[in-house]
Amino acid sequence: MNKNQFIAELKKRLKGLSEIDINKSVDYYGELIDDSVEDGMSEEEAIASLGNIDDIATQIVMDTPITKLVKEKVKHRRTLRVWEIILLVLGSPLWVSLLIAFFSVVLSVYISAWAVVVSLYAVVLSVAVATLIVTVGIFVSLMKGLFLNTLIFLALTLICAGLTILLFIGSSYFAKGLVVLIKLIAKGIKYSFVGRSAK
Amino acid sequence: MDIQLKRGLLDVCVLKAIKNEDSYGYKIIKDMKPYVEISESTLYPILRRLETSQMLSVYSVEHNGRLRKYYRITENGLKRIEDFKCEWKEIMSIYEYITKEDDNE
Repeated sequence: MNKNQFIAELKKRLKGLSEIDINKSVDYYGELIDDSVEDGMSEEEAIASLGNIDDIATQIVMDTPITKLVKEKVKHRRTLRVWEIILLVLGSPLWVSLLIAFFSVVLSVYISAWAVVVSLYAVVLSVAVATLIVTVGIFVSLMKGLFLNTLIFLALTLICAGLTILLFIGSSYFAKGLVVLIKLIAKGIKYSFVGRSAK
Repeated sequence: MDIQLKRGLLDVCVLKAIKNEDSYGYKIIKDMKPYVEISESTLYPILRRLETSQMLSVYSVEHNGRLRKYYRITENGLKRIEDFKCEWKEIMSIYEYITKEDDNE
């Protein structure tokens, strides 16, 4: 590696620092190489004596205060943000409609999921009502002295009551499962946002 | 040696190396070599730290068609060396205390 290569490599590894800091570091190491050469070393030897270039770069970054690093990051982001705003404004006809479409799809999926729950409970309710009606049928048949009818109504009542219980348990499980699923999805969305902002 | 302790010592060593005459990176390392080995990458943060704490000032001089950075000690830097001498007396008495306890055991 010669001096120019070394400096180019060092600059590459110090990306993210401010230009002033990069130049200071590069000047320092460049001067040391020049002085070593003047003292009789070859350029290669001088660079080798500096040690591992990765270690050098890591140490420079580590010795830079975190506040400086963050400032540099924010500065870069701000210049990006101007472009982002322009792009956002220019692209608004596209992304606004896409966003609305996305949210309407999410909302409709959400509503239809709950609609299934509502309809399930409606079935349970109707079977429960049917149970009551056939129960009335038992008494009516009894009073009229129709033994066979009474028996049929009794059987129907039992069937309806059983169905009510089974359907109710089934619907409850479905609703609970749905709540858990929605919570999981909400959590996933949240995490993806946190992850993105943390980067 | 303990890193924190060595770092504090090296700061004073670098100040000593530029105390009598202004010096530059390569020469500082060379002058210190008989007493303490210091690598180029160790010297760099020390110089920057001493510069920000205003214990030395930096100026460039043209040398063989390129710029060389010279470091000059300031009043603060001279005071740091004097402070260190006083601190060292304290450290020596601590050292005596520590080794004395060893003898009693």
